[in-house]
Amino acid sequence: MLKTTLLRLLEALATLLCATLLLFLLIRIAPGDPVQILLGRPGEAGVTDTAMQERQAAELRERLGLEDPVAVQYGRWMERLLRLDLGESIHTGRSVGAELAERLPATAALALAALAIQLALGLGLGIASALRAGGMSDQLIRIVCVVLASTPAFVLGLGLLLVFAVRLGMYEISSAATLARLWLPAATLGLIGAPQLIRVVRANLLSEFGQVYIVAARARGLGRGRLALHALRNSLASIVTVAALSLAALISGAVVIESLFAWPGVGKYALDSIMLKDYPVIQGYALVMIALMIGLHLAVELVYALLDPRIRRQGRRIRHDAV
Amino acid sequence: MTQSDGATGPLAGPAAAPRRIRIRAGRHAGLIGGCILLGLLALLIFGASFITPYDPLEQRIAERLQPPGLEHPLGTDRFGRDVLARTLHGGQYTLIASAAALGGALGIGLLIGLGAGMMHGTWIDALLMRIIDVLMSFPFMVLALVVAALLGTSLLHLLLAVVAVWWVAFARLARSVALQARQETSYAAARVLGASRIALLVKELLPRALGPVLILATFELGSLILSIAALSFLGLGAQPPAPEWGSMLADGRAHMLQAPHILAGPALFIVLTVLAFNLIGEGLRDRLDPYEQPGWQ
Repeated sequence: MLKTTLLRLLEALATLLCATLLLFLLIRIAPGDPVQILLGRPGEAGVTDTAMQERQAAELRERLGLEDPVAVQYGRWMERLLRLDLGESIHTGRSVGAELAERLPATAALALAALAIQLALGLGLGIASALRAGGMSDQLIRIVCVVLASTPAFVLGLGLLLVFAVRLGMYEISSAATLARLWLPAATLGLIGAPQLIRVVRANLLSEFGQVYIVAARARGLGRGRLALHALRNSLASIVTVAALSLAALISGAVVIESLFAWPGVGKYALDSIMLKDYPVIQGYALVMIALMIGLHLAVELVYALLDPRIRRQGRRIRHDAV
Repeated sequence: MTQSDGATGPLAGPAAAPRRIRIRAGRHAGLIGGCILLGLLALLIFGASFITPYDPLEQRIAERLQPPGLEHPLGTDRFGRDVLARTLHGGQYTLIASAAALGGALGIGLLIGLGAGMMHGTWIDALLMRIIDVLMSFPFMVLALVVAALLGTSLLHLLLAVVAVWWVAFARLARSVALQARQETSYAAARVLGASRIALLVKELLPRALGPVLILATFELGSLILSIAALSFLGLGAQPPAPEWGSMLADGRAHMLQAPHILAGPALFIVLTVLAFNLIGEGLRDRLDPYEQPGWQ
């Protein structure tokens, strides 16, 4: 187990390292001179003396180390990253790490609340439709799932806003991150993610129901509810995987919902920074999200090993398609 | 898309328990329904000029924010543009852009996946797999935001981001097909006969991979349309005044209080289009999935 864990940890670190390299190169090869962007920032624009501006640009290039070879620049950037220094925002001049840390709790609260809703719906409706496979309620759940899976999050969010904020006046439209404002965006995200989980729970339970041990248990006279619990225990691994991956999708995909509901999380911050062309923020945001994603994948593999003794012993590699 | 209708007969299979037949009929209903829905939508969208006389971009400020009526079946937006005309013409944007992005992702994915599979065991394959692993750790939304920040916001850049993310899924599938095909005698025969690498790729591997990859593509098209619409909604895709569904919804948001009806058209069309593709994709997958769901015995 320890060996497997260490191996996975190393692999995750290697992937993270490659991701930083890719991100660094992506930003380096992009058109647009960072010095121009820095000098053109609000408050310093309006420089008319071109010779003066060129001298400033050269100085800045020197100070930022942009004249050095790319490998040296990458090394310096990595060194700062290891000290958890993500640089400063061009717009506010504050540390990107601090700005992101301020907004992460709002995003985490939204994602966790959405995950809770998603799990409740996924387990409840998934078990219900597996128990009555082929019946009316199963068909109904299936139809609702297909329609819901075809609905963009922002369309559902707009619809819910229309009903609860405009018609019923039950939801306050503001930009505060309070509990009273959490339920509607969380419900939107939870509903959008639920169909996938319902489907996985249903499919897993159905394939367990076909196993010999369930037939034996039925022959001994166990009720369907008890059988579902037994089957659920055996399909836990894949349910945990889907839940963890959808948590990753919730955190990174929350951009749309945060923007729609004016929820002050990291996604909305990153989006606003794009409009301001605040590169360090985008870079920092992307890095944090990728690290989070890799961390969640790692956690899934370790939990998998804990849940399934066969993997613990063989260290078999689990592959799952990411979102 | 409609050619799959004809092939439904043989799969009805031998007589089984009554319940199973009902489930199977239901599955076909999804596939057929999806094809019909898609056909209808395509007819409406590409026949837009015959259905509504209005120009999707023409502004008539005097007629702004009108409720639905005989003149404008879905009302008018804040510039007095006809919402029906914008919705239908906007569909062309969405469908063509999604098809282009999918085509790009498919081409790159097939080429890299089959190439990697063919060179299995070499450092090229190992490197490509590593790149795929890394790209899979990039959440799509995050990469799209980075691309938009670096290149600026436009539909073309959005499509680039979509291609950059989506080819991975196709490459992985194509690679696994190529790995299987390498074991077969016909592949070995072609190699012994001195076929070049390109000939092997095009004649031996491509025909085998095309089927599964196209099915995956149908299945992915729905979520691809959702992603493009979501990013356009955020202002990272098609720019105004282009009539794209996502950006129309973002635009109509400001008038949600006075004129919520301007949201109805694009919202309905987006859901129906994705629904059509999802039904087709799911129907195809169910038909080709060899594993029957066992259920209670």
